[in-house]
Amino acid sequence: MSLRVIGANLVVSIKTFSREKSAMFFTIAFPIILILVFGTIFLNQDNVSFGLHVQDLDQTHSSAQLVKGLEFDGKVRITLVEPATNAMQYAKDNKVNLVLVIPRGYERALARRLGLVGGLPNAAFRDPNASVTVTYIYDASASSTSTKIQILRAGFALVNQGMSGQPPFIRAAETSMLTKKYRFIEFFVPGIIAMSVMTSSLSGAVTMNAELRQTGVIRKLSTTPITRTDWILSNILYQVMLAVISTMAIIVVSYAVFSVRLQIDAWLFVFIVLEVFAFGGIGMILTRVANEAESATAAANVIMFPMMFLSGSFFPLEMMPGFLQTIARILPLYYVNEGLRASMVSVDHTAALRYSAMIGVFGIVVLVLGIKTTKWEEAK
Amino acid sequence: MAFEHAIDVEHLTKRYGDLLAVNDISFHVRTGEVFAFLGPNGAGKTTTVEVIETIRTPSSGTVRLLGMDVTRRKRDIVPRIGVLPQGFSSFDRITVRETIQYYARLFRCRNTDVDGLIELANLKDKSKEQFKNLSGGLRQRLGIAIALVNDPEVVFLDEPTTGLDPGARREVWEVLLSLKRNGKTVFLTTHYMEEAELLADTVAIISKGRIIAMGSPDELIEGNANYLVLTLKTVDRAPFEIIQKMGFEPVQDSHKSIKVRVEHPDDVLRILNALKSAGASSLSLDVRKPNLEAVFLKLTGEALREGLVEGVPG
Repeated sequence: MSLRVIGANLVVSIKTFSREKSAMFFTIAFPIILILVFGTIFLNQDNVSFGLHVQDLDQTHSSAQLVKGLEFDGKVRITLVEPATNAMQYAKDNKVNLVLVIPRGYERALARRLGLVGGLPNAAFRDPNASVTVTYIYDASASSTSTKIQILRAGFALVNQGMSGQPPFIRAAETSMLTKKYRFIEFFVPGIIAMSVMTSSLSGAVTMNAELRQTGVIRKLSTTPITRTDWILSNILYQVMLAVISTMAIIVVSYAVFSVRLQIDAWLFVFIVLEVFAFGGIGMILTRVANEAESATAAANVIMFPMMFLSGSFFPLEMMPGFLQTIARILPLYYVNEGLRASMVSVDHTAALRYSAMIGVFGIVVLVLGIKTTKWEEAK
Repeated sequence: MAFEHAIDVEHLTKRYGDLLAVNDISFHVRTGEVFAFLGPNGAGKTTTVEVIETIRTPSSGTVRLLGMDVTRRKRDIVPRIGVLPQGFSSFDRITVRETIQYYARLFRCRNTDVDGLIELANLKDKSKEQFKNLSGGLRQRLGIAIALVNDPEVVFLDEPTTGLDPGARREVWEVLLSLKRNGKTVFLTTHYMEEAELLADTVAIISKGRIIAMGSPDELIEGNANYLVLTLKTVDRAPFEIIQKMGFEPVQDSHKSIKVRVEHPDDVLRILNALKSAGASSLSLDVRKPNLEAVFLKLTGEALREGLVEGVPG
């Protein structure tokens, strides 16, 4: 091993990187764009609010109170529909998928049920059969309608239960399993880090092995004193540098634009390095199997794209059907994702250690296999 | 330590599966000479040179380079040789100067005269150009400069001008001639006979994995094609018949040109006198000694490159 030779290779790699716009784009700009786009889309997911259109035909103090209650502490944005308009026509004209109609006589029915006489309850006048029917005018094809109706039913159930005068049986207490509340963007950032390190180290290995072999650069190198070990080591080091650069870019943007709060410590570096080993190794093995640069690139894509979507880089695994979750658990990227989230989001060192051990064993095995299968001299 | 022979090859054979690429060849290259392997594509030139460069292992036979066995002493040999591989290529985004510096560092050379090499390869005004922007000829010249970064004792140039246009080829030859003047031992492979004739002290003609002739270009021509070719340009049919009647075998190789192979310079005079007395007119005439192409054709019955040889060699 020669540090001078490794240094010379790093200089060439870095110069090439800085002069290659597409490399710059895929290493730095692409993950940043992903963060910006997805971060913006999901920015308000944590305080989601539904829109609800209500037509109050009763126009009384009580019906106004009900409408106020339907706001659910601001989680529902209420739009009032004029009593004079035809609610059905209104929904059609304004492309509204749900209109709740409060009937005329709401206050009167309420008074009978509660036995109100002159504004004061009187048990003798209470009519337990007095009721009121609200109407949902809805578009069954709209996906959010059923969610809204369910929320409304739950709300009305609470009202009904309250009127029965009995205390509720099931009460709820909340205890978060996370030390702090985290937002979707904070879940997303580790996934993007893992994804961009994967793509750059896989395609880096393909360039190193297949492209430079095809163009004849490797043939020339094999007539110089540089050894295979020096060459591979230089490339792995370079890949680690690239991984650190793109990770830093992602983190800086996430902090600056979305004010994320993540735990940045040595685990981050450990996971990045192990991931470079794992995907660099896979890339080297791939290029041995598919010798032509084009087919090696295609093979790398075949591995990368399903892995990106199946291993929980973009969304939580729990959102996927069971068999896909099983598949995810055999993908190395899944363990990087989980490990990075354990260290950066939930700050669970035990879990981080467990995941790093798994990805570490895998990474070192494929790296050794990759190094062993990388051709250097023309062996034929 | 100076060896009389920089390279010694004995009974070298190289097989790829069933294919016999190099078939029991032996030769040596004297220190300080330019040695050319001349042969068509697929003759075994590159295989042989790559075995000597230690990139490939021989199937059998021994190859010694600077006195060292190539299969056992790769580590000692590599720092002392320079190689321009066939189809040389380098890192696209790295400039001429940076590329030379990079290779100098690979050889752990601290004293490489980068400017001197740039000058030798005539790349002075291209030194800041990236590799991807260089033309084929410039790339080859850079490749030659790189082959010299470690001041090697033996330089291997595998088809340095293949694929270049005539102008670029001549410019590469200029660089190779200055290399020759510096007294380097050069092992050259080529399928251009002009290249071998111009540059080589010794030429080995290789065909189908075997060396079929070896010697200086003059020796090869004297020994294998010791005749002259007389070419006459004429619009008449008469000269053809006159020459034929004299017992020669003229060939009409286009509408206006007749070629005759003669064994002796006196025959040229006899033919010209006969034409003169018959009153036949000729537009121009040309007498030539055959070149290595003719030697190759005679030895193998095949053209070195397709489309060059017509009815009569030369």
